[in-house]
Amino acid sequence: MAIKIALAGNPNCGKTTLFNALTGSNQFVGNWPGVTVEKKEGKLKGNKEVVIMDLPGIYSLSPYTLEEVVARNYLINERPDAILNIVDGTNIERNLYLSTQLMELGIPMVMAVNMIDILEKTGDKIHIDKLCKKLGCEVVEISALKGTGIQKAADRVIELAKQKQSMKLVHAFAPEVEARIEQVIDLIGNDIPEEQKRFFAIKLIEKDDKIADQMKQVPDIQNIISLMEKEFDDDTESIITNERYDYISSIINECCTKNKEKKLTTSDKIDRIVTNRWFALPIFAAVMFLVYYVSVTTVGSWATDWANDGVFGEGWNLFGINSLHIKGVPEYIEAGLNAIGCADWLRSLIIDGIVAGVGAILGFVPQMLVLFIFLAFLEACGYMARVAFIMDRIFRKFGLSGKSFIPMLIGSGCGVPGIMASRTIENDRDRKMTIMTTTFIPCSAKMPIIALIAGALFGGAWWVAPSAYFVGVAAIICSGIILKKTKMFAGDPAPFVMELPAYHMPTVSNVLRSMWERGWSFIKKAGTIILLSTIILWFLMSFGWVDGSFGMLEAEQLDSSILASLGNVLAPIFKPLGWGEWKMAVAAVTGLIAKENVVGTFGILFGFGEVAEDGAEIWGMLAGSLTAVAAYSFLVFNLLCAPCFAAMGAIKREMNNKKWFWFAIGYQTILAYVVALCVYQIGTLLSVGTFGVGTVVALLLIIGFIYLLVRPYQESKTLKVNVASVK
Amino acid sequence: MGTIVVGVVLLGIVGLIIRSIVRDKKQGKSLQCGCDCKHCGGHCH
Repeated sequence: MAIKIALAGNPNCGKTTLFNALTGSNQFVGNWPGVTVEKKEGKLKGNKEVVIMDLPGIYSLSPYTLEEVVARNYLINERPDAILNIVDGTNIERNLYLSTQLMELGIPMVMAVNMIDILEKTGDKIHIDKLCKKLGCEVVEISALKGTGIQKAADRVIELAKQKQSMKLVHAFAPEVEARIEQVIDLIGNDIPEEQKRFFAIKLIEKDDKIADQMKQVPDIQNIISLMEKEFDDDTESIITNERYDYISSIINECCTKNKEKKLTTSDKIDRIVTNRWFALPIFAAVMFLVYYVSVTTVGSWATDWANDGVFGEGWNLFGINSLHIKGVPEYIEAGLNAIGCADWLRSLIIDGIVAGVGAILGFVPQMLVLFIFLAFLEACGYMARVAFIMDRIFRKFGLSGKSFIPMLIGSGCGVPGIMASRTIENDRDRKMTIMTTTFIPCSAKMPIIALIAGALFGGAWWVAPSAYFVGVAAIICSGIILKKTKMFAGDPAPFVMELPAYHMPTVSNVLRSMWERGWSFIKKAGTIILLSTIILWFLMSFGWVDGSFGMLEAEQLDSSILASLGNVLAPIFKPLGWGEWKMAVAAVTGLIAKENVVGTFGILFGFGEVAEDGAEIWGMLAGSLTAVAAYSFLVFNLLCAPCFAAMGAIKREMNNKKWFWFAIGYQTILAYVVALCVYQIGTLLSVGTFGVGTVVALLLIIGFIYLLVRPYQESKTLKVNVASVK
Repeated sequence: MGTIVVGVVLLGIVGLIIRSIVRDKKQGKSLQCGCDCKHCGGHCH
């Protein structure tokens, strides 16, 4: 029979790193608290009989958060054979609070003191032998990151699990408290195993209302609680917490020696600059500028040119040597199709439809991979946790809390998990506003649009890609200000508490793993939903009515296609934004299926033109059909408007209300339209001097927008408290 | 003949894609990021 080992510990203490090392798994390890929300299972490397369960990081076994409920229910109901309690050695006092509760479950436990390498650097010392005696369980030193001591920890916990002996508590609370606990234990029925009775008794005394769900018979201990509260002049939850911290203090006094000549750690020194009141924001802006500049404009641009013009274009020279010319993918496919005598229409579907559409998107994969490497590095080294802290100060002024930044951070990969990450925000108003604004941050699917506009329309100008990111941030901040002044969202943002982990150099494998996971999902999407979209687009583009008869069209008859007819219906809506041509309207609409489709649609529509007309470059033809201002307006609209269908589905699920869903989608689309209109109209006025009705409308919209931003905030005159949500 | 072969292969690929999309959808996986969104707490990548 398999041995079940549970990994339990505080958030960001290294559980997932240890889980990966023990199981050979490749779960993402982030250097911010709360990477693991669901439990994950894996088998021990070299011993498939041992099942390791990575529980989400928790601070206690009280059901304050979803993670604590998940972890506690697993430990109580599934009863693993042993617990490997990972303790962050650099924060041992706080970590021991959970340990004292885990020990009460009666499950055999081994404590692994992690980050021992950092302790050595700081000069602090934990006396393991004394800690063993004080806790009454085995303690081992490990460094999960460097892999030291983890085999010993695994061996010891397996040995303990095989012995099947319940954990025996060696500590006791104050005699008065112990007497009350004993009284409650006597009242608990036999449905609770003997070794768990103390845990249940303490939870009942703490007035933990969710513990009753785990019991068949719940004893009435109201008298005992009243007596205790009278005796200690405090509520029972605080009494138990104080007792635990008294015990922890005695452990710290005996088992830990702090380095008296305490110097600032490297993390502290970095934080003095990075989270500095004045420098924090400029540093963040500079970091994100660098990330987008390098990803899209320099290294990424070079790599994408090679992929677009070479691999998915006319071929490329290996090592730059002319004689080592390698044909592009379309050439190989076309040659193959010609060789087997494939019909022209099918060849057109494959080359002008699938290859042009999917190839246009895959051509941007190198840029995406460069961006993903940067984002993975920033997340894993600990900087992104600081950004949430920095943004809290800014967001708070505009009605959001730093907690809202975490979904936005995740949303830079994909909007769907970003929207779902908003579940961790308890305040309903903050959560709804976060859901509405998360997709303003450019996700990876919008990256090809940014790169395309930056490269084709602005000649790779340095400022275009970073500006797209900051347009997203500005939209969030402005939305926060405007919406907080409405009755729906009025109220103070919830307080934001987040532990700042120590900086560390991420492992190459972790960064590459994260890059690959994100990159692979992008490639997979191109090969599935995008491929299907390109086939449908090709049909709509290749068939139509000419001279009253329906049939397949010649390349120069593109304007008579079904797609053109549909696009022409929508195009007038976008005319005031500067891109009223049907091709642009179709691209913006197909972006609702998946944002990559915008580029895929251009690939098909302009690629189709290339074959038919003068052989000009696809992106060159696109550039010829738009002015720079109109192109930026198109970019802004696609960045801010309603996200793809999958993200809309996530918004609908998380809002759980049709009205709120349509309000969110409507707000995003109207905001996108207004901003894109203002960009085009004012941009045209400044660059060409054109003044018309559109300019007047744009000026009026700007005045209205400024009014919404600066109008006084009206505090609610009545205090409404939802008692059910407070409980 | 070539048209039939290529057409059948293409239809097969489209069929497989639709099957994988339907299967992922039934399993609660996101079509966009491939993550297990049905059980997701939002911390996937």
